[in-house]
Amino acid sequence: MTDKKKSQRFVFQTRGICPPEIHFQLRQGLLEDIRFVGGGCTGNAQLVARLLKGRPLEEVLQYLDGIDCRNGTSCPHQLNLALRAAEDGRLAPADSFRIYYDPQPRHRIGLIAGLEGDSQALETLLEKMADAALDAIYCLGNLTGKSLQNKQLVRLIRKQEIPAILGETDWQFARGKEAEDLPLLDQNVRDWLIRFPHVVSFGMETKKGMAFFGDYIQKLPGYSDFEPFALEMNMVCGLTNFMQEQAVFPALEAMIPQFEADIILFSQINRWGHWHVAGKDFISLGPAAEPEGLSWGLLEADSGEIRFERMVIDL
Amino acid sequence: MAESVKVLPEEIQDIINVHEWDMRTREGVQRFRELKAKSLPSVALDGELVWESLIPMQEELIAEIRQRFEEKNQGV
Repeated sequence: MTDKKKSQRFVFQTRGICPPEIHFQLRQGLLEDIRFVGGGCTGNAQLVARLLKGRPLEEVLQYLDGIDCRNGTSCPHQLNLALRAAEDGRLAPADSFRIYYDPQPRHRIGLIAGLEGDSQALETLLEKMADAALDAIYCLGNLTGKSLQNKQLVRLIRKQEIPAILGETDWQFARGKEAEDLPLLDQNVRDWLIRFPHVVSFGMETKKGMAFFGDYIQKLPGYSDFEPFALEMNMVCGLTNFMQEQAVFPALEAMIPQFEADIILFSQINRWGHWHVAGKDFISLGPAAEPEGLSWGLLEADSGEIRFERMVIDL
Repeated sequence: MAESVKVLPEEIQDIINVHEWDMRTREGVQRFRELKAKSLPSVALDGELVWESLIPMQEELIAEIRQRFEEKNQGV
């Protein structure tokens, strides 16, 4: 049974209008937040969201009927469909975090983390990594940071179709709740960020891997300890403090048989590290740009063995 | 662990409250860290870590509970 007192987040896939998704939250019959994501008249959509925020669902619904814009529908019409679907249970609440399941089995993966808006670093890394016979590249957050190149960086990631995982700063940008000392970001870039996943799931030979940023995911509304990969994240973040407290590794070993993943990647602590515990590989990715050069990680599967190496590019 | 507690004699059951923490949850992990435990299973009595990596024999568990109960109730 769902707990109606808690805020529930929904993601509605639209049809016939510019924004491909509408995100909204409901709590006890009140509309908490609305976001038309990925296109459309950004300013108007933001105004509509402000006007409807905090209003009862039944009151909101009466405004949304009979508005046409294109293709026999409109943003209000699609919002109407979305809210009615959520109300009568046809639209299930969204998971607290978004997982991208890489459909291709992989053998050599290039890993980049902590770009923090350095689009030049990403360009250079991609150029150098092109010679490494990789079959995939993943970017772990933070993708954005105190940089004026955040927009270029997100564009490049999109252009190259690189699976990218949101870090905490990225998630704040996506929701328009970034720290005051961070630069402004266009709404369309924020919309792209909010559609990036929080977790990537991938396969390497017989092994299953997952990549995430860090502990902000545990604080997302609706996070459940029993969602896919939540156990791995709870153990890495909460139990071992990102593998920094080896004294608790005996407890980690006791929990590992319940893991879904064999390879666990994370990037919150901005430090490179590889731990092999009870048959599982835990890998911490450091930042892309460091004083000694640009760094990336090579993850390789060979006859059931996982190898990881930090690659440094001298500049 | 809960199973070994469930089979304790009734007079022991009457003087204890049992809480089992699920280590899969953030709440369980937090309690594990508060107790400064290192391995599983761990057993704490009155908030103090007493056994780690093992489930005590029933006699041992009963003796420890009785001793603590008597210490707490001296002069009562």
